[in-house]
Amino acid sequence: MIKATNLSKSYGNNRAVDNLDFEVRDGVVTGFLGPNGSGKSTTMRLIMGLDHPTSGSVTLDGRRFHDLKWPLREVGALLEAKAVHPGRSARMHLLALAQTNAISKHRVDEVLELVGLTAVAHRRAGKFSLGMSQRLGIASALLGDPKTLLFDEPINGLDPEGILWVRNLLRSLADEGRTIFVSSHLMSEMAQTATDLVVIGRGHLIADTTVEQFIASNTEATVRVRAPEADKLSGILQAAGARIHPEPDGGLLVTNLDAPQIGDLAWANGVALHELSPQMASLEEVFMELTSDAVEYHGSTTAGAAQ
Amino acid sequence: MTAVETPVATPPAPQPAGRAGFRLETVSEWTKLRSIRSTWICLAIIVVLSIGLSALVCFAQAKHWTVACGDRLTFDPVSASQIGALLSQFVVGVLGALVITSEYATGLIRTTFATVPRRTTVLGAKALVVSVVILVVSEITIFISFLVGQSVLTAMGGKVYPSAAAFEAKVAPFVGRHLSSCPTIPMSRLPIPVANFSTPGALRALILGGIYLTILTLVAVGFGVILRHTAGTISLFVGVLLILPLLIQLLPSNWSGPIAKYLPNGLGQAMTSPNGLNYDGNPLMSPWTALVILVIYVVVVLGVGATLLNRRDA
Repeated sequence: MIKATNLSKSYGNNRAVDNLDFEVRDGVVTGFLGPNGSGKSTTMRLIMGLDHPTSGSVTLDGRRFHDLKWPLREVGALLEAKAVHPGRSARMHLLALAQTNAISKHRVDEVLELVGLTAVAHRRAGKFSLGMSQRLGIASALLGDPKTLLFDEPINGLDPEGILWVRNLLRSLADEGRTIFVSSHLMSEMAQTATDLVVIGRGHLIADTTVEQFIASNTEATVRVRAPEADKLSGILQAAGARIHPEPDGGLLVTNLDAPQIGDLAWANGVALHELSPQMASLEEVFMELTSDAVEYHGSTTAGAAQ
Repeated sequence: MTAVETPVATPPAPQPAGRAGFRLETVSEWTKLRSIRSTWICLAIIVVLSIGLSALVCFAQAKHWTVACGDRLTFDPVSASQIGALLSQFVVGVLGALVITSEYATGLIRTTFATVPRRTTVLGAKALVVSVVILVVSEITIFISFLVGQSVLTAMGGKVYPSAAAFEAKVAPFVGRHLSSCPTIPMSRLPIPVANFSTPGALRALILGGIYLTILTLVAVGFGVILRHTAGTISLFVGVLLILPLLIQLLPSNWSGPIAKYLPNGLGQAMTSPNGLNYDGNPLMSPWTALVILVIYVVVVLGVGATLLNRRDA
């Protein structure tokens, strides 16, 4: 479990992370969302003990990173895919990391196999594509078979096949009971991969919740209705308190009433329905709405957490 | 590099005793150092250039010997065979700087600190590994240079004099200040001196030569930690070693002399002179005093570096 308590980090006058409180629980994938520049990478560096917090603290299963005896065996992190000496081979890069934490050469070959880089293990890492570098970064995170894993934008530069692979990898790691914390600015990706969500905007915590709850609590339920007597139905629904947004193809988007209520009203008034389908807002839309709000709140107040 | 099937990682294994500390980090740093080409290029430059240049200088000095009156008394066969070390100074500076700055250039330093959070341990391991490598390579190079240089002098007709006094007695009638003109003296009448390991001060000068280069490497490591950029670090290193002495020489001579001998290259000269004299025949600081001062410099530079390293964000 990762636990941040009142975590803040300022660079000069710029407050990159402001009073963050969140928990990342074991056994599920937790998505860490925020637009570019919202403080995701800073937070990850704070977790890994690379930057010193201005105030507050962050712990891994109750311990500070600096106090871990075998850091690589407890926490694996992919922070920057290109953080490799361009002249060193993938295998030697991983071997040097492994040696610091008394991890065997056998495990190095194992993780190379796992990420599919065995064939290019002896090639200089500087010649790698971004996708291959991401795989090498994931290999280094997995090296110590750690309980906690952090990935900063792991699918950047991956092809669709690679994205699917990462998604499955993250889920299977979580299923083993590990703590998985994955940052992304691609909301749709997180909707498919993550169970929990930590959302930040401009360094402020916007939400610490589950994907399902996040969408449910931040969107109005919308129902698409199609009926031959659309005008009559509109009148009935509006009389019952619904708001109607007609669609160009003759469908109606109804808010403020849920699908059973609409169905019952239609039945009671003898109106035939050709479609009655609840619409889920995408995580992308919810996120855009929320973070743009966070930015606006930020301009007027200092405590801008919007929840 | 096609995607593999969904991997199943093994559950976390029990942890071994101990911690990710200095010993393991040293092993890792050795892997890092030996796994990049630039290390081997730098080391090859040190070996090849030093030995080649020393042989060339000994050859040129022997050629020059028969006609040069004024240079004869101050000719030192040990120093002549160590000219290559002057170039090695800059190569070890580059190597020492890169050990640190190449990791900052790529961001690898953050991965390093994520595997070993104690930054002083990382710095210590890096410094130890690069300095042992430089010490071994430069001592080997220096001794080979010495042997090659003396062989060249011998092949050109030089000989080992029983003592400095014996050489001076022999050369005195032929040095410039005793002569109105400078006649050519054949090598057979006045052989160029050749040194061996029993020449006074020779062994000490050779051993301290390698130690001098090792300390310079550590100075570059320290500069690297402080500046974190390759170009800046190498510029500072070259500035201190090459530009600063030139600037000091612009000062009045009663100032420049005392200052110059405390600069790293002045201390290096004192450490590596077998007879305690500089190229002009003037007395130098004791080699041991020079060594102590240089060690103080490097401890200060590395200390400042370590303090900044722990205080700054990575």
